[in-house]
Amino acid sequence: MTDKKYLETHEWYSINDNNITVGISDFAQGELGDIVFVTLPNVGEEFNKGDSMIEIEATKTVAEAYAPMDCVITEINLDLDSQPEIINTDPCGTGWLVKADIKNLDDTGMSYQEYESFIS
Amino acid sequence: MNDLLTTSLYKFHQEQKAKMIEFAGWLMPFSYEGTIKEHNYVRTESGFFDVSHMGRIYIENNEIENVNKLICSDLIKLKSTKAMYSIFTNEEGNALDDVIFWKFETHIILICNAINRDKITTHLTNNEISYKDITFETSLIAIQGPQSIELLKTLLEIPDKFSTKYNKTFTYARTGYTGEDGLEIMYENIHTDQVLKFLIENNIKPCGLGSRDTLRLEASLPLYGFELTEKISPVEANLKWVINNNDNYLGKNKIDEQIKSGEHKYLKKFILESKRIPRTGTEVKNNNVSGVVTSGNYSPILEKSIGFVLLDSLPESNLLEFDIRGNLLEGQIINKRFLN
Repeated sequence: MTDKKYLETHEWYSINDNNITVGISDFAQGELGDIVFVTLPNVGEEFNKGDSMIEIEATKTVAEAYAPMDCVITEINLDLDSQPEIINTDPCGTGWLVKADIKNLDDTGMSYQEYESFIS
Repeated sequence: MNDLLTTSLYKFHQEQKAKMIEFAGWLMPFSYEGTIKEHNYVRTESGFFDVSHMGRIYIENNEIENVNKLICSDLIKLKSTKAMYSIFTNEEGNALDDVIFWKFETHIILICNAINRDKITTHLTNNEISYKDITFETSLIAIQGPQSIELLKTLLEIPDKFSTKYNKTFTYARTGYTGEDGLEIMYENIHTDQVLKFLIENNIKPCGLGSRDTLRLEASLPLYGFELTEKISPVEANLKWVINNNDNYLGKNKIDEQIKSGEHKYLKKFILESKRIPRTGTEVKNNNVSGVVTSGNYSPILEKSIGFVLLDSLPESNLLEFDIRGNLLEGQIINKRFLN
């Protein structure tokens, strides 16, 4: 699995062979506040880079998570149904959102250092 | 954020690493430990809010008759030592602000929304009412939650509900800012350290504006700028219980007309079984009646989406259809309170 890369829209992804895992950054969960509901896509759904894949409802506002590259969903994090708050407590670990097969590799996300300077 | 106003508790908020936001020209805490945690402190134990940003206006009792011409409730009949919720109305009968009055033997304290302090003081001036704005020399803390009164007994003599008291240091009332029992306490800024010491020693947790919103919504309490505006009357906001002033107050004719005809907008509470929350501005349909969500959020106690919708006319049924970002979702009007 590669190191996490970050998008300007505050998602992270990591690549494992032809599959990516996607989540939101620690900064993003902090800005959203308490996350209360997550609407995930279905396994098999296809997205193009930049498409909205996921809706995250927090007490402060609602946010969307976008596809980092063209992909097909292979797995969704079912724990988020009953415990959406794990996105707050562990956004880069157990709070991952979806896994997806890559249709067109686009590994142009920012490194952690680049993302840190982007948000500061 | 250099030009923003700060309260006498600002240093404390910083020490607690509160997430701060701009609110009505003030830099205020949004949350300390997280909105839901703070919400639950207030519902089950005791929490406190720095509400010093709210306007505090001192008015001598010889002005009461003049103030009574501007609000829809009867301040003259209100007994000394009592507190009262009321609404300043405009010529159209709509809400200029919703406020709390604390009445004492010689004077009243008018507590208005931070966003409306200039508007209300200008309104008083325009109506030749003398007042003193004491917002900046005083602080206001709301201590709320089922354990609050028991804890406060060691500091203060507890008034009855919707009553006021004062001593040398504190002027306070028991009105229920969040729908929970507790006190709202005003004092001169120099006493902030003493107050904070009491709060910390008694493990009363700081709570921010985030939980203020979820608590007030869950308690079915309106928020100015959303459920009440200069385009929404107290009748429309389902606050007819507040209207008991027989004086010829500003906008009375319009309000009486609305009560008589029933032809006006209707604010209703809704609940939704969905993972999506209808936020402010969401369009709603009820058969042929259209409406818009004024406030919507998650209820930590009910674990569901709840809120208020302003419908163009009397709804024909309790079924609502929300258009949430292109998804049509069903919800229900509920006529009782969200919490029993």
